[in-house]
Amino acid sequence: MRKWALMLGLTAILSLSGCGYNDFQTRDEAVKKSWAEVLNQYQRRSDLIPNLVATVQGYAQQEKDVFLGVTEARSRVGQMKIDDSVLNNPQAMQNFQKAQGDLSSALSRLLVVAENYPQLKSDANFRELQSQLEGTENRITVARKRFTDTIESYNVLTRQFPTNLTAMLFGYAVKPQFTVENEKAISVAPKVDFGAKPAPAPAPAPAPAPGK
Amino acid sequence: MLLAWAAFAAPAAEGDFQPIPPLKERVTDLTGTLSAADEARLEARLREYEAQKGAQIAVLIVATTLPEPAFDYSMRVVDAWKLGRKDVDDGVLFLIAKNDRKLEIRTGRGVQGTLTDAVSKRIIAETVGPRFRAGDFAGGIEQGIEKIISVLQGEALPPPQKKRVAVSSVNYEGFLMLGVVAALFVGPLLRSLLGRFLGATATAGVTGAAAWWLAGGLLFPIVVAIIIFLVVLLMGAVNLGGRGGNWPGGGWSSGGSSGGSWGGGSSDSFSGGGGGFDGGGASGDW
Repeated sequence: MRKWALMLGLTAILSLSGCGYNDFQTRDEAVKKSWAEVLNQYQRRSDLIPNLVATVQGYAQQEKDVFLGVTEARSRVGQMKIDDSVLNNPQAMQNFQKAQGDLSSALSRLLVVAENYPQLKSDANFRELQSQLEGTENRITVARKRFTDTIESYNVLTRQFPTNLTAMLFGYAVKPQFTVENEKAISVAPKVDFGAKPAPAPAPAPAPAPGK
Repeated sequence: MLLAWAAFAAPAAEGDFQPIPPLKERVTDLTGTLSAADEARLEARLREYEAQKGAQIAVLIVATTLPEPAFDYSMRVVDAWKLGRKDVDDGVLFLIAKNDRKLEIRTGRGVQGTLTDAVSKRIIAETVGPRFRAGDFAGGIEQGIEKIISVLQGEALPPPQKKRVAVSSVNYEGFLMLGVVAALFVGPLLRSLLGRFLGATATAGVTGAAAWWLAGGLLFPIVVAIIIFLVVLLMGAVNLGGRGGNWPGGGWSSGGSSGGSWGGGSSDSFSGGGGGFDGGGASGDW
């Protein structure tokens, strides 16, 4: 009797690790860690903004709308309570991405303002902040890509057989993937307007492409 | 700006991307821009620098990175090459896309204390750019490297270590499987051949040796050997019968296969130290 109990116990332990229970732990942790990194980089960008706005204001105080736009977008992002729970909530994730996307657009408009003020463009402080911002946008891109990779890896495990049985048993659901918001808007080429007044170029919804 | 839109709208298929050259030397010039003498001198300088400071700096000159933006290509390169030491992340990549006239400096986190994005940008704009515009590629690259080195003087990095084999994380799950197999199959066999005590010792010895050969170190194999020894010794209390019988073998396979890769290059060739990159650095053109 004891022999069978031992064999049964051993079988249970082995098949559990074979069916991916440990893998779930590892991949779930990887998702949380890479998400923390994404948030870290978004925060870093947010921290750069006050300095950037102040510098641009020094040369172009009349562009009040733009400054207001950036400050408002930044505070909207700051107000959102983001923690690990957003990883399982598609609506919350979408809201967060939209808020960050709006901030990206506002920042693009701010930088375009600089194009019209040559003195601002050559200001050393502004150039330093600009390169810091570019660097942060690049880091955001990389962090997002790594995050989507961890989500994919986790979701694959959740959906494959036989690990999907373990998933159901322990309550591991598929996590929402990072999507590019406004996919329709992006796939339509923008109309280039050669009107009298130079209009600021519309920014793409995700973070602006680095090194244009 | 329009190009960025196009890139988003119709991403090129993976097959169109420029290949990443294998990492064999510190200076990889696919365009024949540098003379053999320049390349050798630069290579020696970078080797000397790594021996002295530990950080890995590499130069890559390609004709073009299109259809990918230079940034994306540089990230693929550093993810493949893994410059810099693991967990220190002190690698630097200097990428030149000659026909595109694009420059990238990619830095690992470990060097960003002094070699910040702004500093990288300044090196590109003030040191390398003007020389490239004048057609002096060798000079531009050399001066850029010297500038990077001098900036990194202020960075507090761990001292370089003697050559050691890079072993990635041990797959403990695999060893659990190994241990169980050893105890349950090999154990009874050796027991019947050598008697209870000697059988247990032999099984422990074999398993310990296997653990040492696969994972290295001393503590882990010893612990494994002791556990196996006790298990096989005490197995006599539970009569498992003559035949191994109906063990379900299927559950083990996926657990054991997810091990890390075993590194360890020869002492002459250059290889990445396992460092990571977070996208920091700067881009520029000339």
